[in-house]
Amino acid sequence: MRRKIIRVGSSRGVLIPSPVTQAMGWEFGSLTELTVDQENNRLILETHQVEVPDELDEGQLTEISSLAEENKNLLEEIND
Amino acid sequence: MTEDQKKEMKIFAYTHWRVCKELDTDTGIRDIEALKNVVTMPGGGSLTCLLGQKLTNKKDLYSQIGWLVYYTLEGEPLNSKNKATIVLAISWILEHYNIDYDLEQIGDYIENLDIMNKGNADISAWFSKELE
Repeated sequence: MRRKIIRVGSSRGVLIPSPVTQAMGWEFGSLTELTVDQENNRLILETHQVEVPDELDEGQLTEISSLAEENKNLLEEIND
Repeated sequence: MTEDQKKEMKIFAYTHWRVCKELDTDTGIRDIEALKNVVTMPGGGSLTCLLGQKLTNKKDLYSQIGWLVYYTLEGEPLNSKNKATIVLAISWILEHYNIDYDLEQIGDYIENLDIMNKGNADISAWFSKELE
């Protein structure tokens, strides 16, 4: 996919087509990681990976995550 | 703060972030001191049920849940969805303890809870009665 570098204020930018953002699951505000690979003359743009702190149990966080998905409608109905 | 309390804060913050991600709302800690109050129980205690530690009796468990609910509603430490975060945290705790529960009933109770008239002991008593 070819994209032109465009002016964004005083910076340069590349617009990311929506099929790409959809495929990556990116929304406005999503954190990405930009890495310059000079040896191969390329730029890598990837999803910023958040590491779980060592002291936390990843299994517990997964369980919380599953419960959030299962009970989405109920959580949504709670007026905060 | 103890290491346990710091972990409990992180787990509660993660629970909040997970709710916000699911419901597409603002995430973040509004008041860190209020969050510290949530995990700081009298006498150097803390919400060990959030760490997955098995408490020796249910009275202590419901006491911790009452504390969690009251001080989260009282201090509103999160930018949004304080009540929904409590409900999700409680569902994980009760699953972990293999206690049968009706999450809709718990959600209704927390949504309509008036903390001007109910303290943490009243909330503990409600959970103790409803979940027995």
